[in-house]
Amino acid sequence: MKVHKAMPYAMISGACALLLIFRVYPLISTVCESFQDNGAFSLAVYQKLARDSVFWKSMLVTLKLNIVIIPVQLVLSLALALLVNNRLKLVGVFRTLFFLPFTVSSAVACVIWSLLLSQNNGLVNSILNTMGIASQGFWGDRNQALWCVVVEATWVGCGYWMVFFLAGLKGIDRQVYESAQIDGAGYMRTLWSITLPLLKNVMLFVMVANTTSNLLLFTPMKIITNGGPMGSTNTLMFEAYKSAFKYGKQERSAAIVTVLLVLVAAVCALQFYLMRDRDKKEVKRA
Amino acid sequence: MKHRRLVRVLLYAALIVVAFFMLFPILWAVSASFRTDDELYAYMAPTTFHTFVPVQFTTDAYVRLFRDYGFMQPIVNSLMVCLMTVILGCLVNSIAAVAFAMFDFKGKNLIFSIIVVTFMIPFESIALPLYKVALGLKMINTLEGIYIPSVANGLVLFLFVQFFKDIPRDILEAGVIDGAKWRHLFFRIILPISGSVFVTAALVLFISQWNAYLWPLLVAQSKEIRLIQTRLGDFKTEEATEWAAMYAASMLSAAIPLALFLPCQKYYIEGITSGSLK
Repeated sequence: MKVHKAMPYAMISGACALLLIFRVYPLISTVCESFQDNGAFSLAVYQKLARDSVFWKSMLVTLKLNIVIIPVQLVLSLALALLVNNRLKLVGVFRTLFFLPFTVSSAVACVIWSLLLSQNNGLVNSILNTMGIASQGFWGDRNQALWCVVVEATWVGCGYWMVFFLAGLKGIDRQVYESAQIDGAGYMRTLWSITLPLLKNVMLFVMVANTTSNLLLFTPMKIITNGGPMGSTNTLMFEAYKSAFKYGKQERSAAIVTVLLVLVAAVCALQFYLMRDRDKKEVKRA
Repeated sequence: MKHRRLVRVLLYAALIVVAFFMLFPILWAVSASFRTDDELYAYMAPTTFHTFVPVQFTTDAYVRLFRDYGFMQPIVNSLMVCLMTVILGCLVNSIAAVAFAMFDFKGKNLIFSIIVVTFMIPFESIALPLYKVALGLKMINTLEGIYIPSVANGLVLFLFVQFFKDIPRDILEAGVIDGAKWRHLFFRIILPISGSVFVTAALVLFISQWNAYLWPLLVAQSKEIRLIQTRLGDFKTEEATEWAAMYAASMLSAAIPLALFLPCQKYYIEGITSGSLK
């Protein structure tokens, strides 16, 4: 279609300007800041960071959390999607119910779970006691708090990731299943050889999006644990926040954010690589 | 046949168990918001019927929320911020999307891919560096500072592009021949037939803005401009936590996205998932 040459540029200028100012520039400036010392290029911040035991402990906490939470959320949300993808009466109601925790928002979810899993007067401990099980430390125990974060964040996130898998499942032609059934394939076999390979694109999307959101998880630490007890939930994201807004160490915060970004990029690249690899094998087999 | 029935029973059992886990914490919070702190603690252990259901149903926590905590202000602030995000977000992203969907121009594909890649940078990761930018633009402690950075939204832009691509060109060509200006085409022809995508975009923008936590926390520092989400923590102090009031505030905060989501969930879910399938 013909319009004045400048017209399209004028139309995209708003979105592009906002993008440059509020995404691209801060990103570049933070990476630059982390490599600076008195205006000159320097690795001093990173050298300091390498000797910083708080940073390494925080890194360990971040890795520990994500190694557990990402697979747990992926498997559970896929299972939920398969569950609500059955043709059953009222299944739509269940689908809506499963999505509710996401709608109430992560801040509200944190408020709810902070009392549910409270050490001294929490509801879960009350129920455990009634069942004859001793009270647990939960948020107050440095060996359990991180897993409480997993529970809380999974409760919020599962229904959300479920709808992506569900959209993928709905896109699969039912005829494929019918022919599989005729061939006598059982449920697990169908799931493994037909459903999952067909869900590959959605899977990749959910993996990447899920990884980023979990590596940058912030709300539970801010609202419930404050990084504790004894730094056991002090993730890199929270450490970066504290570094900038509590201790006023801007360069350290910038360096931690940069490390975090590299981590996100690396994990996502790994996921792309793994998913691509499997595709090639399939081609070879065929 | 018997086998099939067993499977169905098991499926329903699984659905009910999961639904219980998803729903129970919310219902319990609703119930807790209608009691007093003393009652909540008194019946917490051992577990009895009244651990879950109030003995004395009271709206005291809600009353105190507005009387003692001035909770009208954060609700109004949140609504304002979300409304502005929706209006500006729909406008800015849809106008850019028209250009991407309907015109050919130099560098179009390059610019579009850069936009898509940039939007994959999650907001949380740049929130801390963004703070400095906002500081420089004197946007800290203003409502504008909260919503302007989230106006340009990759998912929403993508939604619009997908939709506009499918609008038959004839309609627009006819408009051009009639000598209509592009501004008129946009408002008189494109807008009226794009209702559904605008509803979807508005929902996505509203809910994500309402539920945002980190950025509003950083920007809104003085009490008068803080949003509802970041006020939730106020009930927790070193000495004590006012659970009933905190739950009441949480339930108010959750009620608004729920009221939008429940009737329009089809639009909303189509909206958030559309990007994943392409």
